Amino acid sequence: MDYARRHIRFGWWSLLVFASAGLVLESLHGFKVRAYLDTANETRRLMWTLAHAHGTLLALVNVAAGLTWRAAPSMPANPRLTSTSLIAASVLLPGGFFLGGVAFYGGDPGVGTLLVPIGAVLLLFALFSIARAASASR
Amino acid sequence: MQYIRRISVSRSHLILVALVIAAAGLGVARVARIERAVEESRVAGRPVQLPDEGFVSSQTCRACHPSQYQSWHRSYHRTMTQIAAPENVAASFDGVAVDAASGGPMALEQHGRELWAEFDDPDDAEGRGRRGVRPPSDEPGGQTGVRPRRIKRQVVMTTGSHHQQIYWYATGSSRILGQLPAIWLTADRRWIPRRAAVMRPPGGAHVSETGGWNGVCVACHTTNGQPQLDTPLGSQPIFTQTADTRATEFGIACESCHGPSDAHARANRNPIRRYASHVAARGDATIVQPAKLPPARSSDVCGQCHSFWEFADQASERRANAHGLPYRPGDELAATRFIVQPTRNLDSPEMRAFLEADAGFIRDIFWADGMVRATGREYNGLVESPCFKNATDPARTMSCFSCHTMHQTADDLRPVSEWANDQLAAHATGNGACVQCHERLSPTHSHHGQDSSGSSCYNCHMPFTTYGLLKTIRSHQISSPSVQSTLATGRPNACNLCHLDKTLAWTAQYLNDWYGVAKPSLDADESSVAASVLVLLKGDAGQRAIVAESMGWSAAQQASGRAWLAPYLALTAKDSYDAVRYIASRSQRTLPPFRREELPRNSPQLLIKADGTFNADVVNRLVRARDNRRVVYRE
Repeated sequence: MDYARRHIRFGWWSLLVFASAGLVLESLHGFKVRAYLDTANETRRLMWTLAHAHGTLLALVNVAAGLTWRAAPSMPANPRLTSTSLIAASVLLPGGFFLGGVAFYGGDPGVGTLLVPIGAVLLLFALFSIARAASASR
Repeated sequence: MQYIRRISVSRSHLILVALVIAAAGLGVARVARIERAVEESRVAGRPVQLPDEGFVSSQTCRACHPSQYQSWHRSYHRTMTQIAAPENVAASFDGVAVDAASGGPMALEQHGRELWAEFDDPDDAEGRGRRGVRPPSDEPGGQTGVRPRRIKRQVVMTTGSHHQQIYWYATGSSRILGQLPAIWLTADRRWIPRRAAVMRPPGGAHVSETGGWNGVCVACHTTNGQPQLDTPLGSQPIFTQTADTRATEFGIACESCHGPSDAHARANRNPIRRYASHVAARGDATIVQPAKLPPARSSDVCGQCHSFWEFADQASERRANAHGLPYRPGDELAATRFIVQPTRNLDSPEMRAFLEADAGFIRDIFWADGMVRATGREYNGLVESPCFKNATDPARTMSCFSCHTMHQTADDLRPVSEWANDQLAAHATGNGACVQCHERLSPTHSHHGQDSSGSSCYNCHMPFTTYGLLKTIRSHQISSPSVQSTLATGRPNACNLCHLDKTLAWTAQYLNDWYGVAKPSLDADESSVAASVLVLLKGDAGQRAIVAESMGWSAAQQASGRAWLAPYLALTAKDSYDAVRYIASRSQRTLPPFRREELPRNSPQLLIKADGTFNADVVNRLVRARDNRRVVYRE
């Protein structure tokens, strides 16, 4: 499988989605939507901002991973698992933050936020695998 | 690739660096926390804020309850006590000269973030630094007839922000505070002498407020306040005392109502516990939710400050001086202090002792029938209300939370400032609070137009008969208009506070026609002169203040006409009591310029003759019959 192409493709589409989400958030600011801006909804605002930021950043990480995959001297030990972990993390992290802001409990995000640590672990695993592969000598 | 290999070689170093950074971060956070506490405890010259005894302060609550924190932060409860800083003071201190101060003029200065004031020393009764000018007898030095010395002190704390702001200076004696001789009126944006801000008769001995904050204000205007004077306030001259006054937090913060929260905060550091609680939507036993307590207990939470109470004995006063008040939210308030309620405990040994020490102990707080008449004691009114004391179903028992909410709810679309004014729940701004229980009341019950002010439950059953802070507020003892009560107590009834131009006989007749209330016997004046005019001319100072305020009330002006009010308010603006004069002048400003030709002719109930002149004989007779007893409200 062409993992490099997979991540570059996923990364750019993901970037489109989360950049668009940024526009939506800006609109919520622009139209002063209370469900987003009221002090009672501070947690939602934080969670959705984090979802946007993480989604956008991880989209760029996917593009970088694809490019690294092409340029690196060797593949990660388990390329399929590494690739799937990175893509899953790119969905779970922003998705968890988003769901955590849909329904929340005061200063605590909703239970959807439980996806975030799972995504974080997968991301760290994928980053470690790619970093190790990229560091290997030719 | 060379670059990547370099990184690979130093991987262990990177891990080490990351660990060092993490440890340093934790260390800095810890040090910052310690340093903050040390900084406050090192502050000299004013009381300090130190978390203690299971209290953690609102900063800890904020992390998990941002919405509740925000609504509290915008409330006047928070700003009841603040450290004096340019952003907290309502008045300008930047090179301001204040003539309207008790004693001599006051000079205010701002140096950076420090606020300073120069004024006559209110505690210099012997008049050190004589200048040979005799001050009024109720001002500093008044008894000796010489001006006291001038002093310059740093202003360190403030009280209030809603209606008035009072300023406290460091006396230089331990943490004992003194009060500036002028206060700032927020709405008027002007200074007035301190003595003019309270209902107090002219003349009389000068009362120093020094130490008052430490010994009295701290109990209710802070969270977990502890006077820590060496002996309770008043037991010896204040300048022979020292104080280490402290509180968990200045202002009435989260833990004033929810109780000490350290255990709650600790327990909920565990996310599994938190989410189990969220998902199960169950309460948390580690914290008190006042709104979920039974009505009596929930009202006790408010009553800890909004009641008239005394220490049951000297031992409890000494304990409170050392450790703060023992009441904690959820407790039975009356078990921790003596609630002064003449209808219930007039014959108690405690009350007899208080009355022996001060004959006016009850008189200036309660009307003759036991209804509270001084502001800030709403709890005393609530517990005497039939909706509270006669209720048998807790779900239909009135409590403070039937009408008020301490956190503006998301469905309340009013501006925050409007909610913060009285912290009424959105449903309670109109008749909604009452129809929660009185849902079957006939729409014609009020006999007034449905959209008129006479159709408001509040206006008839919670009239403005409570006084304090230069204004009247609604009585919190729910009652029905009664001429009999007016005759027995002197308290103006709701009908005549709106229908200012009508007599007691007129009111008695309507109450009889509409509700079958028996008509009491009335004397000639009560039958022929408007009730408001009678009170204004012959009532005591507290009664005069209530009617003068009503004369500026738009609903009353609409019901009674405005043209005749100006002369009576002009007369009242010469009252011997500063507070009454102030209110009359304020009401006068709500009126259009006076035009004699617009006066109603031949209105005997208003003492206006056919030629448009006032019946001076009757006016003078009534003024001569005035109740001139000294009225001193405990505000």
